[in-house]
Amino acid sequence: MKGYRRYFANKLIWFFITLVVAFILNFTLPRLMPGDPVAAIVSRMAQGMSNATGVQAIYEQYTELFGINRPIHEQFFIYVSNALRGDFGYSISQYPRTVADVIRSSIFWTIGLQLPAIIVGWILGNALGALAAYRRGTFDRVLLPASLFVSSIPAFGMAVILLVIFGVSLQWLPTSGGYGYDLIPNLSWNFIWSVIVHYQLPFWTLVLITIGGQAIGMRSMSIYELNADYVKYSRFMGIKDNQIVRYVFRNAMLPQITGLALALGTMVFGAVVAEVVFSYPGLGSTILTASLGQDYPLLSATTLIISIMVLVANFSIEIIYGFLDPRIKAAQAD
Amino acid sequence: MKHTLRQVFRSGKFVTGFIIFSAILLTVIFYPMIIRDDPLQIIGQGTFFPPGIYVNIADSMSSTRYILNLDDAAAKRIASKLNDADREAIREWLVGAGIPEGDIDIANTESLLGLWVSNYDTTVRIPGMTNADRNYYIRLNRSLDGLLSEEGVTIAATNPDTNALEATGTVELTEYANIREVANVRILPLGTDNFGRDVLTQLVTATGVSLRIGFVAGLIATLIGLVLGLVSGYIGGVVDDVILFITNLFTVIPGFILLVLISFSIGQEQRGAFVIAVVIGLTSWVWTTRAVRAQVISLRNRDHVNLSKLSGHSIAHIIIRDVLPYIASYVIMAFILQISSAILAEAALSILGLGPRTTDVPTLGLMMNWALIYQAHILGKWWAYLPIILVIALIAFSLNLMNTGLDQVFNPALRD
Amino acid sequence: MNRKSLLSILLGLLVIFALALAACGGTTTTQEEPAVVEEPTVAEPAVEEPAATEEPAAEEPAATEEPAATEEPAAEEPAAETEADPNALPRNETLYNNGQQWGAVVGWNPYSNSNNNAMAIAQQDNARVIMFETPYLYNMLDGQVYPLLADGPYEWNDARTELTFKIKPAAHWNDGTPVTAEDVAYTWATHIKYNTPTGAANIDFIEDIVAVDAQTVTIKAKLNEDGAAVNPLLVAAYVSTNYVIQKAWTETLEERVAGDATALLADTAEDVAYSGPYGKYFADDSKVIYVRDDNYWGQDASMWGKLPVPKYLAHTIFKDNAAGTTALQAGEVDVSQQFNANVQDLWLVDGLPISTYLPDAPYGIGASLPTAFFNLNSPGLDQVAVRKAIAMAVDYPTIIANAMTNQSATFDQVPRSLMNPTAGEQATYDHEAVADLQWVGNDIDGANAMLDEAGIVDTDGDGIREYNGENLSYIALCPNGWSDWQAAIEVVAAAGEKIGIEITTNFPEWSVYQTVVTKSDAPLPEDYDIFMMWSDGAGPTQPWGRIRKLMSSEFIGMASNWNGNWGQYSNPDADALINAIPGMTDPAALNEAYTELVRIYLTDVPSFTLMYRPQSFHTVNESVWTNFPHDGDGTEPPVPPLNLTDGWSIAGLYNLELVNP
Repeated sequence: MKGYRRYFANKLIWFFITLVVAFILNFTLPRLMPGDPVAAIVSRMAQGMSNATGVQAIYEQYTELFGINRPIHEQFFIYVSNALRGDFGYSISQYPRTVADVIRSSIFWTIGLQLPAIIVGWILGNALGALAAYRRGTFDRVLLPASLFVSSIPAFGMAVILLVIFGVSLQWLPTSGGYGYDLIPNLSWNFIWSVIVHYQLPFWTLVLITIGGQAIGMRSMSIYELNADYVKYSRFMGIKDNQIVRYVFRNAMLPQITGLALALGTMVFGAVVAEVVFSYPGLGSTILTASLGQDYPLLSATTLIISIMVLVANFSIEIIYGFLDPRIKAAQAD
Repeated sequence: MKHTLRQVFRSGKFVTGFIIFSAILLTVIFYPMIIRDDPLQIIGQGTFFPPGIYVNIADSMSSTRYILNLDDAAAKRIASKLNDADREAIREWLVGAGIPEGDIDIANTESLLGLWVSNYDTTVRIPGMTNADRNYYIRLNRSLDGLLSEEGVTIAATNPDTNALEATGTVELTEYANIREVANVRILPLGTDNFGRDVLTQLVTATGVSLRIGFVAGLIATLIGLVLGLVSGYIGGVVDDVILFITNLFTVIPGFILLVLISFSIGQEQRGAFVIAVVIGLTSWVWTTRAVRAQVISLRNRDHVNLSKLSGHSIAHIIIRDVLPYIASYVIMAFILQISSAILAEAALSILGLGPRTTDVPTLGLMMNWALIYQAHILGKWWAYLPIILVIALIAFSLNLMNTGLDQVFNPALRD
Repeated sequence: MNRKSLLSILLGLLVIFALALAACGGTTTTQEEPAVVEEPTVAEPAVEEPAATEEPAAEEPAATEEPAATEEPAAEEPAAETEADPNALPRNETLYNNGQQWGAVVGWNPYSNSNNNAMAIAQQDNARVIMFETPYLYNMLDGQVYPLLADGPYEWNDARTELTFKIKPAAHWNDGTPVTAEDVAYTWATHIKYNTPTGAANIDFIEDIVAVDAQTVTIKAKLNEDGAAVNPLLVAAYVSTNYVIQKAWTETLEERVAGDATALLADTAEDVAYSGPYGKYFADDSKVIYVRDDNYWGQDASMWGKLPVPKYLAHTIFKDNAAGTTALQAGEVDVSQQFNANVQDLWLVDGLPISTYLPDAPYGIGASLPTAFFNLNSPGLDQVAVRKAIAMAVDYPTIIANAMTNQSATFDQVPRSLMNPTAGEQATYDHEAVADLQWVGNDIDGANAMLDEAGIVDTDGDGIREYNGENLSYIALCPNGWSDWQAAIEVVAAAGEKIGIEITTNFPEWSVYQTVVTKSDAPLPEDYDIFMMWSDGAGPTQPWGRIRKLMSSEFIGMASNWNGNWGQYSNPDADALINAIPGMTDPAALNEAYTELVRIYLTDVPSFTLMYRPQSFHTVNESVWTNFPHDGDGTEPPVPPLNLTDGWSIAGLYNLELVNP
């Protein structure tokens, strides 16, 4: 048990160090970009204003409000003390909305889209990969390359193709929005059905581009395991095939789970594309507009959320690993 | 070496991937030698000309005229201006204007047009007719003008002295030109894009640029990943901790966001294709590092490495002689994957408007970006976006396929 | 807010649950896919059915109510509503828009410019008046203003220093209290007290706004040393540009923010009182909906005599133009004010019941002149010959055909000047007098000859002309992602090559671009040689306002110049004319002044127009509604194609009819 404790303590320390550094970077990186975000607000205010003093006054007022005239370390400490109280300040691009409000109103759409899509894509991909490994033959020769080809289509290409086929040509599915254009959110069947229908195109876009990569990985891992000594030994011992297959796939699955955790972080782009092409409400396009509009507060907060999500997923996987994989215990015993 | 190569080319997956990739590569190399048009030249005044053969009208009038008496010529001419839906619409209008339905025979072109010409009036307001309908009838009326005429078309020129139009000749409806004799014919196999540029020529150039971006970015990412992975895995200890920490940081702050921030920061004026490639390379080495490190750790305690250590070889010597060869195949595969993901990354960046600058070179992502901005996909201009998606998919597919094939060769366990 | 987030959580869970079900069914094979794809075929009738069944129910009262609008329609409406699904908007009572609202509505505060509430709040030349109202409405087609809250035309005193108008006795707020002259005065006082954008914009021209009695308002102009109004044109523009805001509500607001100016402007004003026909119904990240106030004062015979036809105005929030166009194609949008590339394909190719104001190119009425400015400090660009040669060589037909997909009049149709293509502005100058100055473009020979004549030639044989021994090499810019401008700038750059001038393009991000271009207190940096910016559209001060912003040197020296003349052009003759015009009343003298300004502009070429752009694009889908404004629709005064929300175009809301009543 001592080995475990050291393992966890070690992981935990690194977890916190990474979190702190990620926090600092999330704060700093956006602020290193060139350009002047307050000018964007001023431009909105000052259209058609023809006296210099008025514009200048507005400019100074908002520079003060966002505190970007202070030295960056001072800004940082203000940011930290506010962030600890859960206050991420005003969004610059959507001022006077607060960052918290912007995120609150869109994050559930993103999570509701991303998480199931990753999980379904992961499950389908792994099932396909495992079957390809176990069945070989046509499955391996046809279905696997086919899924590989589908996954080679870039995310925006997939989104556009699905949009054109199912949305524009066949008109089976709605092309934009999170729910019907004529509805107001409520808990009626009509509305829920509308949400489900609007969900399909962005969802399958994300699932389809995930499957192939997962399938390839799972196939390789499964074949490794199928040829491992313990399988041969088990066969030799006369253990039933079904039983062996279950062992094999459980072992092959372990590294794939790590992949799942890391996929959370890399899905951002898929989210941006799916949300923009299908005008789906959510955080992905918010991040994009925030980075193009230099909305520091919003950008820092959203990237922080992603960082924490990835970090927590990573950390939990490693902890679970520690329990499941005897090899890690062995390594710690060194 | 020879043996491995033979093995590699025996893998069906690798060979398929290799053939596709070579075909793309050869096209990129040889097409510009045959067709020397400037890929960025704006040739079309107007957007999204459909694929086809474009024949100069003035030149075809002055080329040799052949008379062909074809029975269905008149019918085809009429059908192109007056389809079934148009006939139905004419009937609706006539009925709306008070003509008895029994008098209207929409199959009989002559009587239908007769009724139309004698009754149609733009100022008549048919109940329930929208402005869109009204515009439609005005357009239809314009296109039907002279449809049944058997007369040829008169060519006229302005007399410079009197400034009046004078007939200089006629073109009979039975006259044809042989396309091979027309001086100016331009084939646009994939039409033009929103700028009026030849899509195919641009696509070939763009593919070349994207491949180069992929290659440079892949090389950079693989080199960084390899070096960091080797050092981290072999030396271990504090060095390993630090490198692992940096790697973790890059995982936690998604590479794509970094990519967006950096591309944004360096500004469009600095964003040549090469710079974009470097930026992509610098933000995508994380996976390679992790993988190489894992491989090196498992190699570190092998007997031959220990033996080398005991013989007092230097670290560099051990890494190069005793570690690298064992992971070489793996690194090659990682490199291939990096190329394909770098091509996708460039496309993704360009879609978001953060790709290389437009006037220098076309890239696949930029072409896609412009096609989408001008809504090629929803207006059915397939030639402006579908080939681009296909090319990207084929490049990534062929590389992945080659990779899977290699995997089978280098890992005998995976062999069929 | 809390209820909303709870709802989103529930929704998220539901979706996940639904998917988990789907996923469980399909883990073993990929057979699941066709099953899911099939669903929607079942779905579509299911979704549409309720809408279809309720149509007759919802419609009947609307139909009976319209002719009897002057009576008491309010009583009938709620009865119909109880029958309908309260969460679905009846299609034939709702007018859907796109292209105005990008991103969620932030607030409802008429004092602020930061509401991102495009349909309801825009105080500009063609002010949006569905919720808040201006005393007068501007009509871009005939250049006149028509009274809205005001009663009859406004009157100047003889010295043109005081402008007086009356408020209609019928006008009242949505809470039933009358709109008074005191409201107008207090609105102004608040603008000044809290230094709002409106206050800051007008304080140099307006001394004060006072309520003479309950109905009468007098605007006192700021006077110059001579005792004349500084700018009577801008004083008069105030009455069609700025809203009247309720005094009682303003006082509530002031109390809430305890006199803090920043807080006052940041207030979201959910409780705001308004006098217009529509108010807030619903808003989230996906859409905003306004509902008709059936008590609207405008149904009084002294104004419209009836209520606007659609009960709801809705605007779906799309994330890009393509999504908006797709919805327009699908009939989910009735009025589209976004740029739909190749709009004619929607009816020519797709055969959809979609039309624009004009049936053929340019499809709309051009109102603003997107302009390329020269950096007059760049070596070589200080020479008129170089500037004019570049402007003459540009291939404008290609810009119009490719960048604007023909949605702009050509320079053959409307010769270049400082005026937009509307008839009113075209009549303000003498076309004959400047005809020989109006180039149409693509004039490579003329441009080359002009450069040769000026002695700017290529002496070292590298194909590029030199001036003072230096190659003429420039960078042309516009913001990244502004697609039609980018395409136009590409064409400008292509022209350089043909006349021996090297022009390359650069597209910086807007956030960088704007800070550089609007900094007029120092010379522009060297790499900003030829750059695009906008110019004013149609409005009550035009064409004077546009000319001022294109040519007046008064903006040089501003640290944050959001007005114009970004190339920093300075010409005392032009300045004198620009200063004199607002005080002029004699049409002949005005015509002469404008003609002279056009002459100066086309001679000096400090900047040049690249295309004509509509005030707003206006494409309508007549699947549900019809009788939208179109050329020759017989309305008098003509209803301009401005999406039925801005200025006089709101009159169009009263003319709409259902295609299938």
